[in-house]
Amino acid sequence: MIPESVNSSAIWVMPMLELLGFWRDLVAYGPQLVEGLRKTLVLAGSVSVSGLLGGILVFGLTLSQQPAVRRITEAWVSFFIGMPLLVLLFLVYYGLPQWGIRLSPFAVAFWGFTLNVSAYNARYLATAYRSLDAAELEAAHAQGFGASQIFLWIILPQVLRLSVPALTNQVILNLKDSSIAFLIQYTEFFAQVQELAAQNFRFFQAYVLAGLVYLALVSVIVLAARRLEARIILPGLER
Amino acid sequence: MALLEVIGLTKRFGDRTVLKGIDFSLEEGDTKVIMGPSGCGKSTLLRCLNRLIEPDGGQILFRSEDVTRADTDVRLLRQRIGFVFQQFALYRHLTALENVTLALRKLKGMSSRDADAKALLELRRMDMEEHRAKYPAQLSGGQKQRVAIARALAMDPAVLFFDEPTSALDPEMSREVVALINRLRYEGVTMLCVTHDVSLARYVTAQVIFMDAGEIRAEDEPERLLSGHHDPRIREFFGNLGHADA
Repeated sequence: MIPESVNSSAIWVMPMLELLGFWRDLVAYGPQLVEGLRKTLVLAGSVSVSGLLGGILVFGLTLSQQPAVRRITEAWVSFFIGMPLLVLLFLVYYGLPQWGIRLSPFAVAFWGFTLNVSAYNARYLATAYRSLDAAELEAAHAQGFGASQIFLWIILPQVLRLSVPALTNQVILNLKDSSIAFLIQYTEFFAQVQELAAQNFRFFQAYVLAGLVYLALVSVIVLAARRLEARIILPGLER
Repeated sequence: MALLEVIGLTKRFGDRTVLKGIDFSLEEGDTKVIMGPSGCGKSTLLRCLNRLIEPDGGQILFRSEDVTRADTDVRLLRQRIGFVFQQFALYRHLTALENVTLALRKLKGMSSRDADAKALLELRRMDMEEHRAKYPAQLSGGQKQRVAIARALAMDPAVLFFDEPTSALDPEMSREVVALINRLRYEGVTMLCVTHDVSLARYVTAQVIFMDAGEIRAEDEPERLLSGHHDPRIREFFGNLGHADA
């Protein structure tokens, strides 16, 4: 019969050895993970910027004085919100080569995400626009401002302020969703974590690591967004 | 010379005729007040004059130039007409000073320094200089209206339009704004003011235009309209307001 003290030591020793082994693999595979993290940040960062700029452009078009432009833009937004991002990425990455069009995994991920994120951001801005005081816009017209000046100087500064929480959520989603880009051979952070797990079969540890890294990055975004919100809140309108 | 001459102005919304051939004129340096029951077309008339609303017929002569013509530079016309709104309509994201300077910089092309100097002058004129760094949400109703007037005056308009400038204010603030408008009148600012406020009409103006159902029923001195006018509709209106010996 094995003494109880030996039995309880084994309970601790085995996981420690496992963890040590995982740590050794992690150090050995570190450069690939760092490279994957860099690619994740590049993709999430670039689509957050392009998605914001695209969202502003699409939102601007939804305010066009031409009914046809408004209708087409609305249809565009609805299409890209309705289309699952993964389907869009597969369509471009695996579907277009059928017609001789081949794009790099990054290009596909960048444009796929940009179209999707622009549509969502345009919706957020449009929602904020509905809360603006119509009298302000009438006053701007009465002062002699043109439509583009009103958009640039009156509407945009206000809807961007009002949309900070929604736009921040979108940046967080961009970061988290960037992990699906590994399905089109973009070797971002999650793809590298998969690779690590496949080599040492320590799936649990690998996915916990991935979760913690994403959580840390999201926390940084949330903190930055809170600071931004505190800076741009208008005096007299604080809650 | 008439600064503004309105001839047979009409406006329809669907099958409802809101303005049925409006005729009146406004001389340089003059002040006129337009009064009448709600829905009589007063605010629509004001917005037709600077083409915020497109009139359907008639003419508007602005310094003898027909500004209802299709080739009129509407934005330039609007820059020559200051407009003060009932709900102040200040830009919420800008300070009092920035509210006044925005149009100076973006429409008149003034440098920031010149625009600030001009804006501070107008804010001082409205006793609002010390509040220049405040946002609209930090100002009282009366203060907001003063900033709105400063914003309109900063563009050196040929005429100042007021749309119910005291309706959203409590009696004390309302008196302040009426006194301010009166001061502008004595400074020679040409003004056209839509209001329900009898005290404003009495205190400020020489001529009141009374509108009802899209038509001008009378144009006269305030006291004559307010005290037992021969037109029963006018007597009824001012009687309901409690200001006529009807």
